Amino acid sequence: MRAKARRWEFTMIKNSNTKLKDGIAGGLIYLSATITVAILIVIIGFVLYKGLPGINLKFLTRMWDDVTTVVDVNRNNVTGNNTEAGYVESLGISIALEDEAVVIKSIDNDSPVKDAVNVKKVPYALKKGDVIGKAGSTNFKNITLEEAKLALNEGTGPIKMKVTRPGGGIVPMLVSTIYIIGLTLIIAAPIGICAAIYLNEYAKPGKTLNIIRFAIQNLAGIPSIIYGLFGMLVFVQGFKMSYSILAGSFTLSIMLLPTIISTTEETLKEVPRTYRESSMGLGATKLQTISKIIIPSALPGILVAIILSIGRIVGESAALIWTAGTIAQIPKTLVGSEAAAATLTTKMYWLIKETADLEQASSIAVVLIVLVIALNILSKFITRRILKKRTS
Amino acid sequence: MKDETKFSVKDLNLFYGNFQALKNINMELYKGQITAFIGPSGCGKSTFLKTINRMNDLVEGVKITGNITMDGVDIYKDMDAITLRTRVGMVFQQPNPFPMSIYDNVAYGPRCQGIKDKKQLDEIVISALEQAAIYEEVKDRLKDSALALSGGQQQRLCIARAIAMQPKVILLDEPTSALDPIATSKIEDLILELKEKYTIIIVTHNMQQAARISDFTGFFLLGNLIEYKETKKLFKNPDDDRTKGYINGIFG
Repeated sequence: MRAKARRWEFTMIKNSNTKLKDGIAGGLIYLSATITVAILIVIIGFVLYKGLPGINLKFLTRMWDDVTTVVDVNRNNVTGNNTEAGYVESLGISIALEDEAVVIKSIDNDSPVKDAVNVKKVPYALKKGDVIGKAGSTNFKNITLEEAKLALNEGTGPIKMKVTRPGGGIVPMLVSTIYIIGLTLIIAAPIGICAAIYLNEYAKPGKTLNIIRFAIQNLAGIPSIIYGLFGMLVFVQGFKMSYSILAGSFTLSIMLLPTIISTTEETLKEVPRTYRESSMGLGATKLQTISKIIIPSALPGILVAIILSIGRIVGESAALIWTAGTIAQIPKTLVGSEAAAATLTTKMYWLIKETADLEQASSIAVVLIVLVIALNILSKFITRRILKKRTS
Repeated sequence: MKDETKFSVKDLNLFYGNFQALKNINMELYKGQITAFIGPSGCGKSTFLKTINRMNDLVEGVKITGNITMDGVDIYKDMDAITLRTRVGMVFQQPNPFPMSIYDNVAYGPRCQGIKDKKQLDEIVISALEQAAIYEEVKDRLKDSALALSGGQQQRLCIARAIAMQPKVILLDEPTSALDPIATSKIEDLILELKEKYTIIIVTHNMQQAARISDFTGFFLLGNLIEYKETKKLFKNPDDDRTKGYINGIFG
């Protein structure tokens, strides 16, 4: 009787010990999840807090630097019936004073400022938000609205104006990012896809194939700053491309090849072997089989590989800082001095390093986070569509 | 009428690496006849079938000695595999239409050969589908995906796909083992019809099927061709004890 009771006690003690252990373990697990989510919330919250105030239409649509141009505008001989305070009849625009600067607030549809030309006779249409610094011989510094109107309406015929288009926007970085994405994909996608096709369809299994695969895996693990170093030595200096989008794209292509090759290979492996057999059995060549059956079947997976690559390009900083530079401009050429271009990430680096303006850096960070989340949603959406198609 | 020889197989041996899958096969396969290969699993009948259209070339580490001639031409030495496969079609065990429309499936082979004219392709596709006894069922949905068809329909589509190449020979590798009895009997009827235009070689693990439709039957065991003669004679009076044993279900 006593032995039984003892055993029962033992079981009960064991149970309560186990319960305690379960409790602690469970608590730690919940805590880990909470900490992880909390970190994510804190990071995003902090960046939003610092950066959201700076995000407005101007931030998203303007160039980075202020651009000052001298233009000639032909004036109208109209007498309009617009009696607003800031309306300038001869130019068909409305102006206002903001922070002691004369700003164009609105432009009529038939306003001659749309046909303004700069000193090189190249059209340079004025836009809402432009600041007029000088008109004719009148300097607009510390001027009143009335005096400005007078100066603009004075005389007939064309008037020379000094106009400043304010910057502070991320348009150059957005455009440069798109250029770099396009250039990198054009270089890396064909090479990567063809390499994957070789590895999966042509290469004979054996030691050589294993060595190639091992090399590709290691390439994927190299830190991106080493790619930056390589790009700088070989492309920027060696090939004399100087800081340029081409140097940046070449560097990124090399960096992305392992990802593209691996993902494409995985997709190719999923194409059923029976398709290949049937195709060959019908008298098709290997190349025909690949181009007519295998690649079309693998397209959704290749698309996913490309979207993954775009995500990495958008987020890449170290490799681009040393190859494409940090100048905020829309590149006009592939190589040379006009080809340097900062992306969102590299401009952030520049802001943190060169200025104390962490608010602007945070605003760029917000845009980046939104982009990354959007890309993630897109890739999930496409993956789901693929699964639906496959199982239908 | 003396049977004309389509294929002449002499001293054929096949090795997968060190494993010998076919041992000294010698046989004549006759034109316009249905020849069946029977035997237990792993006896080499499918492997042998694949030597006839050189599908074994696609496998790593395969070595073949001996020769096979088609109409007197050595198919390994004097012909390239691609051309051979346009003349010798194959239907596989699992129905496996391509992930395309019914029309595109059948037109695949001709398109690979460079036929682009739509009228020509239409003719070829419709003729092939009719010969495969499936045209009436799909004529209103040629542009629909082939994957939406039933198993039996898919297999008939695969037969149509092979016929579209206008081959002289059709090889069938256990074409009905994945199908239900009704679909199976439809395909057996189809094969009997096709005999008029094509030389047919069929591998089957179903003896009754071989007895039903074939003119000649070859019994394989462990890579050897044990016995080969007219189907009626083989099933009624097999010479070899092993053939007797297999047919009577003693092993299999």
